[in-house]
Order: sequence, then structure tokens, then C-alpha cells
Amino acid sequence: MPDEKAVRPDETYVVRMEGISKIYPNGVAANRGVDFRLKKGEIHALMGENGAGKSTLMKMLFGLEQPTSGEIYVNDQKVTLSSPSVAISMGIGMVHQHFMLVPSLSVAENMVLGMVPRKGMFIDRAKAIAITKEYAEKYNLHVEPEAKVADIPVGMKQKVEILKALVRGAKILILDEPTAVLTSQETAELFRELRGLKENGYTIVFISHKLNEIMEITDRLTIMRAGRSMGVYNTCDVTKEEISRLMVGRDVVLNVQKDAAQPAQTVLRVRDLEYTNEWGKKMLDHLSFDVRSGEILGIAGVEGNGQKELIDMLFNLNTPNGGTATVNGVSVIGMPQRRIREHGVSLVPEDRMLYGIAANASIEENVISDRCSAKRLNRGPLFNMKAIHEEADRLIQDYTVLCKTRKQHVGMLSGGNIQKVVVAREFSNDPVLILADQPTRGIDVGATEFIRKKLVELSRAGVAVLLVSADLNEVMELSDSLIVMHNGKIAAYFKDTKDLTDDMMGEYMLGLREQSAEQIGRVCHD
Amino acid sequence: MLDFLKMLLTPEFFFSIIRISAPILFATLAAIVVEKAGFCNIGLEGLMMFSALSGSLVSYYANSWLIGLLAALVVGVLMSLMMGFFAFQLKTDITLVGIAVNIMGSGGTLFLCKVITNLTEGKTMASTTGFITKGLCIPNITIPLVNKIPFLGGILSGHSLLTYLAFLFCLLTSIMLYKTSLGLNIRAVGENPNAASSVGVSVLKIKYIAIGFSGLMCGFGGAFMSMSYAQGWSLDMVAGRGFIALAAQAMGNGECLGGMLSSLVFGFAQALGIKFSARGLDSNLASPIPYAVTIIGLVIFSLVRRSHAKKERSAAAHAAQAAK
Amino acid sequence: MTKKREIIFSLVRGLLAICIALFVAMLLIFISSEGAGFGEKLRATGAALKQLLIAPLFRTGRSGVSFDVKRLTDVLASMIPIIFTGLSVCIMFSANQFNLGAEGGIMLGAFTTAMVAIYVPMGAVIHPIVAVLAGGAAVAVLMLLPALLKTKLDVSEMVCSLMLNYIVMYVIKFLMNTYLADKTKGQIQSYEFLQSAKIAQLVDNGSKLSVGFLVALVVVVICGLFMFNTRWGYTIRMIGLNQDFSRYSGMKVAGVIVLSQVLGGFLAGMGGGIEMLGRYNTFSWSALPGYGWTGITIAILAGNNPWLVPLASFFLAYLTKGCELMATYANVPAQLLDIVQGVIFLFFAAEQFLSRYRQKLVVKSAQEELAGKEGAKHA
Repeated sequence: MPDEKAVRPDETYVVRMEGISKIYPNGVAANRGVDFRLKKGEIHALMGENGAGKSTLMKMLFGLEQPTSGEIYVNDQKVTLSSPSVAISMGIGMVHQHFMLVPSLSVAENMVLGMVPRKGMFIDRAKAIAITKEYAEKYNLHVEPEAKVADIPVGMKQKVEILKALVRGAKILILDEPTAVLTSQETAELFRELRGLKENGYTIVFISHKLNEIMEITDRLTIMRAGRSMGVYNTCDVTKEEISRLMVGRDVVLNVQKDAAQPAQTVLRVRDLEYTNEWGKKMLDHLSFDVRSGEILGIAGVEGNGQKELIDMLFNLNTPNGGTATVNGVSVIGMPQRRIREHGVSLVPEDRMLYGIAANASIEENVISDRCSAKRLNRGPLFNMKAIHEEADRLIQDYTVLCKTRKQHVGMLSGGNIQKVVVAREFSNDPVLILADQPTRGIDVGATEFIRKKLVELSRAGVAVLLVSADLNEVMELSDSLIVMHNGKIAAYFKDTKDLTDDMMGEYMLGLREQSAEQIGRVCHD
Repeated sequence: MLDFLKMLLTPEFFFSIIRISAPILFATLAAIVVEKAGFCNIGLEGLMMFSALSGSLVSYYANSWLIGLLAALVVGVLMSLMMGFFAFQLKTDITLVGIAVNIMGSGGTLFLCKVITNLTEGKTMASTTGFITKGLCIPNITIPLVNKIPFLGGILSGHSLLTYLAFLFCLLTSIMLYKTSLGLNIRAVGENPNAASSVGVSVLKIKYIAIGFSGLMCGFGGAFMSMSYAQGWSLDMVAGRGFIALAAQAMGNGECLGGMLSSLVFGFAQALGIKFSARGLDSNLASPIPYAVTIIGLVIFSLVRRSHAKKERSAAAHAAQAAK
Repeated sequence: MTKKREIIFSLVRGLLAICIALFVAMLLIFISSEGAGFGEKLRATGAALKQLLIAPLFRTGRSGVSFDVKRLTDVLASMIPIIFTGLSVCIMFSANQFNLGAEGGIMLGAFTTAMVAIYVPMGAVIHPIVAVLAGGAAVAVLMLLPALLKTKLDVSEMVCSLMLNYIVMYVIKFLMNTYLADKTKGQIQSYEFLQSAKIAQLVDNGSKLSVGFLVALVVVVICGLFMFNTRWGYTIRMIGLNQDFSRYSGMKVAGVIVLSQVLGGFLAGMGGGIEMLGRYNTFSWSALPGYGWTGITIAILAGNNPWLVPLASFFLAYLTKGCELMATYANVPAQLLDIVQGVIFLFFAAEQFLSRYRQKLVVKSAQEELAGKEGAKHA
């Protein structure tokens, strides 16, 4: 099936990965016989769903992981990329999704880390700064060499990352979802920079799920699915629909069926919530809104505009500087999580590995964590093991968690199944309010669809749902009404999501537009 | 009371503070460097025990304090590298590796001592105190001119070579951490190991260097214990200094200067205990003073840090308010 | 990976760790053994190893090897204190609290129990019970200090508990020297325990295998049930695995962390008390007894699982007895035990030890599974 029609046989490749397989110690086969080739001077997209094996493949190209079998050729030389330093010496550089920077060091220090210019025994700081400036100018990537990395914006951090690779002589750059954290302006800027690099003969691997971006910037693309390569194409020869079909193996169902909301009484009432973080940045600025029973209120916005802080305040993972938040009239600010849960609040946390599960505990132990003191699961001082087994089995079945037994460690499951375990627990404790923070981030299509359907189902049964998502598609699709957060404030409130366009949302999300106080005020249903 | 104060305000008392602080300072520097590299070595105690034993034995058999000292250093470094092997390569929890080394450092050193010296114990414990004569101790150094200064001269001059080295190493460690590429690498590895490895810094190598450095410092500390502080090795002679150093590292906020000041505080507590027992206080009441001071010190440090953080937060909030 | 493979792997790994430790022991014995030539040294080593490995249960004489009941009861008796410290450490480590206070705890427990046994007259059956519970309670209260400092002020429980060990030891020594010693005796020891306080012996052969052994086994069962079949034990384990998750799930994290250490302290104190009343007539400990550290080794061998504590305790008690016999009959210092213990400890706790072998098993399982799926598809 691999479609190599665009490839002339006499062409040489800068990188050839052939028959690559990777089995992780936990038994997950992330790559199975993958072929991947890069031509000099191209921008090559590597596409696929989360868990399709893209990151694993690139980690092997950068020496962070070693293939279980298969061969890698760089400039037609067979190589063993045993560590990143070997990869770097072959001219391969990688910009990771989570930045590989040391926050307490300066930009210049981060730039020269591992290749520090010295004056005698000591670090030559002036030289480090000069090198940084030189490369920044040469490639037109503006950074502040003396600023501490902790203090610079995300866009600049990414430039530091690219410069870091370039200063080490990288000719092949791997960018792992580089636009995930950028605003559209920053993305446009990045694309300009990438084109510049391409013209200078650099080869770029661009990992992304964003179809528009891929159509815009890449020359060729490799699509992966379930650890296998689904083929290589010239970008100009395929349509978005074709790519999408190859990626997920079926046409993505973009519409979750749902009836019109019948909102009833207000459940969550947030008024004038304020929070200034430890670096003095105002993260929540007099935030007020209501969520009613039977409706899904979505919160859209570029990440880092206060969504995380809002959820933290509502579940007492942090304390606001001012304002109130009540659930059915009871203030939840500063209330222990146990009591918050007793009031019927559930949280699907953004960071599921940190808050959502204990990876080394069994599925059973994970699903009873919020109800281990419940009467029905205890018999005197002892657990009622039979009731607990039944509860676990029921939830595993209801939420279609793919596992061998209830005793299996949650950490051994795939991302989607881990999230199903979290959701099974959070949705099954008769909630009156569900806080769903990025509920489907990074999980497979099947699990995503399942969780979305469950959310709709619950809201139609009278639960109030507050949905925070960076996935515009999701938040626009699922929400009955929607607020857009920007800079800790509500930039817009839409009572109805039907007529919204992506462009309009973008303008609100990026702070180009803002509704009047009166329009925003309608989110409070007093 | 006044009498007692007078007794404290003597050069001898301050001299003893510095002397007592030296081994703690060595261990504290060890704790600081590994902490900067991102982990905690609780085996300092055991490392010092092994170094103390090997230093005293080798100096006796080689009849040279210098060779003894070198042996202590080599043993300290080798043992610490072995800890590194278990922790980094075999992925044993570093805390557990430390506990294992401490267990071995207690009874294991006694075993080795008995086997090597062929001393069989009667009622008394085997030790090497009979072996180390004055000449095999690490020499004391009288600093010309300084020793002539009234009062100060008595405090600063005449210390063991290793005492001066301890304070010199404090300075050198600070320079190493902040002015050299090795220090930059250590801090990077401690703060974000992925960042360091992604630019080709070998995290494993840096961690080995850091733990090896801690072994070196414990080598000095152990040698000081058996070849200067006391004459010869005896069971459990390090007496918790390796643990106190961990507290000193925390109280010094992970920096060399702070660590040095904390070590001096512990030195002061112990010197005070010794003075108390000289005044007739039961030694069993005087001996636990440094340990109690450690706990109190950690509590005070934690309270200060907490109120500091609070102040900073409210200051930040104020600043944000003002900016508006 | 299949359950069976998992168990086989654990077994192979554990046995290999023990073999390595024994090999290290053999080397050390060989080096330390007396003898002129290689052959003589080897013979001495063999004799010493026989003492270490066989003698704890069997007596070897001219008539061959014979089982020795006295030695078995000796081994069982010496399990008593370390079962308690082992359980204590299991519970504290399960909450991911590296509290090393079991060492001072067992001494304080022994001391407190001894005081009650000497100075508080009571009825025959009730006396040891009250005395031992008092010992446990004293240590439970002591452990409040590191536990509260950790939860309220984030002070390292490890450093704090270690410092407490020294303080406990010195304060007890002070009290003994100054106020409580029986001045008519040559060495520092307390007055005799009241007859009513003594714990009855199971076997009257001088092994000191007391009823305490049965109590220890009962406590093992209680701890096993507590950790795996009650909400509190479950909470302790979840907090140990992921504290953020536990807080988010609505568990009382700080309270349970305190609970785990207070319980751990109580167990260590009980162990000290039972050891006192079952083995001695007076309190004469002048240094920390080392059972706390052995308890840590046991917890590691048992993987923090109370059910496995008796097995691990038996193993260590056996080794200890072997080392003692070796010291007596083969002139190898008994402290070899600490080195052997340290080596076993290191390899047992080493996650990556034999990881390549494990990886092979995992890959094999994954391939089999895939093959199974493909097969199912075709069928």
C-alpha cells in the first residue's frame, strides 16, 4: 500500500529508517516494522493519532530510545544512535514538545550547555552571549541572551530550542508538535523561520495533527497508525480527507448527537474570582459565571489564560486571593477535597498521571479511591471485598476499559484506557457538577468519542458540566454555551454555539476582540 | 552564669567550634553537590565510616598519614561510585542504597577491622585506637604571623590540615558549581535531566561525578574523624554527622555559604555540650544536644522559609496591584 | 506478562540476589580465614560456611547431620523483635515515609515496658499486656514528632527520626545511670521485673521462645488485613503510590501520614516491650539494639507486604544465628552479617537487576499475545 509514486529511485536520502520495531519494557509495541525516509532540504510531516508511534520513532532517530529491531542510515552510513550526543554529532537535532530547557539558567547558558566556551577553567560568559547573538541574527530568531529562561515567553523558549539545535550543527531538525503551545501569530512567525531554514538546506521533520498547518508548510508526509507506517505522500497530492482517513482508518465523526439543553437551577456560581500567581501575574481577574444543571458550559481559550487556575480554585488545589465559588449555595473555596466530593463535585483532571490515577495500583484500587469509605464497600472495619470486586468489574464493563483483569496495574494501560478509568470513577459517583479539564487530550478516537458521549448523556440527565478544552473542535461541539477566556478574564460569552466560526473564536481567544461587559454579564443567570 | 559565659568566650572554645565543624562541613559539601545534581545521598554516614577505618589502618601499616589519607579518599570515592552503580544502573532507590551503605558502615567496618587487624575482642570493642600514634595523625598547622594575633590567633591557627581544607573546599565547591562548566552541567542535570541529556550532556556521567565528589568529601571527613579528631577508628564513631550534614544542607538552602554556617551552628552546639559536661553535666545529657539542635534547626528553617514565601507572595500581589 | 512468568521471575531474581550475597560472604570468609596455604584456607572457609548455612538448624557430629530443636527455637525466638520492626517499617514505608525511627522506637518501647514491669504492680495476666501496650504507646507518641513536623512543616522525617534515635538512646542511658540503675550490680542494669510482668515461655529450653512469638504472628495477620483489607491501609498504600492522586480523591493525606507513623511507632514499641519481658529479667540495653535497621531490610525483602514479613524475618534470623555460630566455632566475626545483609538489600531493591532477562520475558509474552490475536483473527 505505501505510495511512493513521487519518489525517484535515484534520489538519495539523508535519513533512512528501515524496518524499525520497538517493544517497550511494559510490553507495548510502539513501532512495528516502520520505514521512514527523509530527503535533503524538505519539510516532512509525520502524522498520526496520539499513540500511533510518531514520538517513539523520532525518539529513536534522536537516540533517546533504541529500536528493538531495524536499521538506521544517516547519509547512507549505517549508524547506531545510542544516545542524543551521537545523534547530535550526526547533525540531528530535536525540539521537544516539552521544552528541554533549564529554567534557572539564562538563555545563553542554555544555548551552550554541553559545549561551554571556557576561559581557563571557568565559563566564558561573554563568549556564550556572543554565540547566542550571532546565531539569533544569522537565522533571524530573536532571543534575549541574558534573560533567565523561567522569565521568557513560550514563543521565545521555542526559538531557544531551535537555536540550540542549530548551534550544535544540526542539519536535520525534528520538531515535535511545535505549534501546540503557540498562538496563531507565533505559528505564522515559526513557519516563516522554518521556510528560511529550508531554503538554507536544512531538513525538517514536522510532527503535528493539525491538518491545515501540514498542508501549508510541508512537502511530503508520512502517516502512522497503530505503530505502522500507512504510507508516504507528496503533500500536494493528497487531500485533508484522505489524510484523515488514513490516520484514523475511518471518517472522523465530527458530530456528537445531542438534544437541546434544558438548563434548570444554577449549580456552580462563581463571582469575582481573583488570583495572582507566585510570580505576580494576574491569572484570574474578577471572574464571574454560572453553570446550570442540565447544561454543558464550555471554556475555550489558548492554554495558560487562567483555565488551569480556575479549575484548581474550584477543587481547592489552590487558594484564590478573592471572590467566591459556591456549589448549590455552599462555598467550596478552601473546602477539603473530601467534602467537595461529598457535595457532588467530580473532576476529570488535566494531568491524569499526576492526579487522575496511581499508576502502580490496580484498576480496582483506582476506581474506588473516592469511595473507599462508603458503607456499601465496607463491612465493619474491613473492606467488603466482594462488593468492591463487583463495583470494579461493573465499571470496567460499563466504561469498556480494555484490560485483562481488574488487578492489572493502571500504568500498563494505554492512554485512552487510563482516561476511561478516571472517567469511570468520576462519572459514577452521582455527581451534580462535573469539572472536565481537557477530558480527551492525547487519547485515541474511540475513547474520545466514548467520553464525549458520556458527558452529553450525563448533562442531559441533569448534571451541570464545566468543560475546559484547548481543542476548539471539542469545546464548540460539546458545549451548549461557551465562554472564551483571555488573560484571566472572560473575553466573550456565547449563549449558543451554533453560529460560531473558528475565525471569530480565534479573534476572541487571541484578545483581538472582546465583548462588552453587558454581553459577558449574561453568563450570570441571576 | 557570667562565669560560664566567660568560659565560652575563650579562643579555645571558638577553636573547638571550628574543629568540630570541619567533618560536618565536609559531609555538608557532599550533600550540597549531590542535591544540586538532583538526588539525596543518605549514605554519607556509612561512607565516612569506611573512610575512617581505611584511613587509620593504611596509615598504620604504611606508617604514613599521607598514604592513610589517600587511602581514605580512594575508599570513599570507590564506595560512592559503587552506590552510584546500584542507584543509577540497577535503579535501586537511592535512599535504600544509602541505608544499605549505612548498615554496612556500622557492623561491616567492625568486621573488616577485626579481620584485618586480627584483634579479637574480649569485653571491649575492637578499634584501631592503639594504632594511631601522634605521628600518624594528620598534622596540625601553625600559621605564622596569624598565630601571633591575640585571641584570633588562638582560634584560627594550629588546626589540622584537613580543617583548613574543609573551609577551602567550601569556597572551591561554590566556584565549581557556579563558575565552571562542570557546575553548570551538575545544576542542569539536577534541575532538568532531560534538557541536559538532549544536548549531549551525559546525565549518568554527571551523576557519577556528583556522587564521586560526595565520596571524596566523605573520605576527607572520615579521615579527619579517625586521624585527627580522634586517634584511631572505633565503632560508630561518625555518630550521625552524615545525617546532620543532610540537615545542614537543607538549612543552608543548598548553598555552600549557608551550609558552612549551618555546620558551624552544629559545631557550636556540640562544643557547648562538651563545655556543659566539663561543668559537671551528665555526658548522656550533653551528647544529644547537637541532635536536638538539628531538629530545632530544621523546624526554624522551615518556619522562616514559609513566612518568607508568604511575604514574597503578598509582595508580588501588592506589586501587581500597584502596577494596575 | 503472564502471572506465572512474573512469579518465576521474582523467584529467580530473589534467589540470585541471595546467592550473590552468599558469594560475597564466602569471599570475605576466605580472606579472613586462618591457614597457611590455599587448601587450608579453603577448608577453613568450608567449615565456616557450614556453620553459617547449616548449623542454625542442624547439628553435625560424628553420626552425621541431625536436626536440632534447640537451634530452631533459638532462630524462632530471635524472629520476635524483628517481625515487629519489620511490620513497623512496612507500614511507614508504604506511606512513602522514610521514617527510620524504628531503631530508637524499639529501645524506647523496651525501656517503657520495663519501667511498667518494675514499678507498676498489677495482676499476672494483665501486667505484661499493659506494660507492652505502654511501650507501644510511648513510641507512638514519639513518632508524632517526625510525623507532624513532616505534615505541618515539611521537615524531613528521615533526618528527624534519625536524630530522635540518638536522643532516645542518650536520654535512656542518662535515666538509667542517674536514677534507675540497681546500684548493687556491677554493670548498669535496672531492678528485676516483677514476676507478674513476665511473658510465659512456649518452650522451656532456654531459647527464650516466648508467647510473644504467637503474638507476633497474630500481629502479622492483623497488619496484613489492615494494609490490604481495610480503608485505612488502602489509603496508606495509595498515599505512598501517589500523594497528589490521594488528596485529589478526597483522602485525608496529612492525617493518614501521621497515622502510618504512629502505628509504625506503636508496633516498634510493642516489639521492644515483648522482647524485654520475654527474654530478659532486667533492662540493661546501653546502646541501640539494631533491630530497627534489620526491620528495614525485612521490609525491603518483603516488598512492604506484611504477609511476607515472617518469611523475611525467618531468613534474617537464620542468617544472624548462622553468623553467631560462625563467630563461635569458626572464628569469623559475627558482623559479617551486616555486610551480607547490605548486599542482599542492595540487590533486592535494585529494579533493573536482571532487567534484560525480564525484558526478554516481556517481549516473548507480547509476541505470544500478538500471535494469539492474529491466530484468533484467522480462525
